Amino acid sequence: MKIVLDRPRCEGHGLCEEAAPQLMHLDDDGELVLDLEEIDGGDVALAKAAARVCPVAALRVQ
Amino acid sequence: MSTVALKRVVVVGNGIAGLTAADTLREEGFDGELTIVGDEIHPAYSRPALSKALLLDGDTLSSHTLPPASHGARELLGVRATGLDPDRRLVTLDDGTSLPYDGVVLATGSRARRLSGLPDEVTLRGLDDALALRRRLAGRPSVLVVGGGPLGMEIASGCLAAGCPVTLVSQGEPLTAQLGPHLAGVFTTAARERGLTVVRTGPARVAGRAGDVHVALDDGTVLRAEVLLTAVGDIPNTEWLAGTGLVVNGAVPVDTRGLARPGVAAVGDLAAFPTPRGRRRVPLWSSAIDQGKSAARALVHGDDAPPMSFQPYFWTEQFGRTLKAVGPLPAAGEPVYVDGEPGSGPALMAWQQEDGSTTAVALDYRIPVPRLRRMTRTPA
Repeated sequence: MKIVLDRPRCEGHGLCEEAAPQLMHLDDDGELVLDLEEIDGGDVALAKAAARVCPVAALRVQ
Repeated sequence: MSTVALKRVVVVGNGIAGLTAADTLREEGFDGELTIVGDEIHPAYSRPALSKALLLDGDTLSSHTLPPASHGARELLGVRATGLDPDRRLVTLDDGTSLPYDGVVLATGSRARRLSGLPDEVTLRGLDDALALRRRLAGRPSVLVVGGGPLGMEIASGCLAAGCPVTLVSQGEPLTAQLGPHLAGVFTTAARERGLTVVRTGPARVAGRAGDVHVALDDGTVLRAEVLLTAVGDIPNTEWLAGTGLVVNGAVPVDTRGLARPGVAAVGDLAAFPTPRGRRRVPLWSSAIDQGKSAARALVHGDDAPPMSFQPYFWTEQFGRTLKAVGPLPAAGEPVYVDGEPGSGPALMAWQQEDGSTTAVALDYRIPVPRLRRMTRTPA
């Protein structure tokens, strides 16, 4: 599966990073970086947890 | 309660708190029968977006949309819980049926407090409220907002941006009680520069009759507008729990794991949980998520579940400015500038609070929340 970021929508709250620090982080400029886009196994649940906490729905797992 | 005994869980409430609890139950290995009851027909959505992006959304109307649920629960939407029998372990519903449970999550949230029973008094709490307001704003009506808290100010900002003339009625200077005088000043300055009319008053009343509603200030002044909207706090939806002994002062008190009793969790806006400043409701997005996770783990793992470690995260967007804050608010006094300087530019600030805690605030400043959190662990 794949994590998809809607970058214009991202407001840099970083709650996703707190949910899945293995998969994504905000860089020094507050821009979200997906460290892993293609995911499988246990990472899928993590990615979904990260997408769920985003209050502006900027992440999708598909 | 052991995992063996937990075969049926009912989550009452389909907001972010209930949804997170349901997701977490599955992540923690609960594979029994899971049912979610939601009184709105909509799938769960992002409530913070309703008073922010959704009022300004172009035609996409998607800024509130959350990813589809993956918990595989039976979802009963458009159905309201009318009662809870903790002895027989039953949730009764307004369609006449009832749901037996081994574990239950109370997550019915709260509703807008109103100043009248008049239908012309508009509030913004749910998705339908936001969509209805958005439709009305298209005609650029005059708008009167009662309530100088973050919600009232966000709505006023959205209405101004939509091209409406907006007056905001506030007890004292807007946002001061919630954010402290320094940050309140930042936003009220931006608001006035953008054309918001602020009326400071004592307690205001909404009066009149259907079709002719007005706001009466404490000095006798009467204000009218084409749209009258109040944003004066929320009331937990706990009436359906009457007689259970679970409700104290209108909320459901819970322990550090989100349990009101063994097998009964309460999460989100209706739950009062222990914080460093006493047991209280913290009706914020990140609070609802943390509570949902913690309570689900407590249902599955009992006393082996870790207590919730919660630190408030709050954000607002209004009048062209954005704020992100970790730590307790309001912030009294003046900040230490970690980056930026006093004035109207972007700034990263910290307040040393009287109780020894630190509040870190980013104003028009992009910063990862984990970094803001780290700032609160070192003295300002």
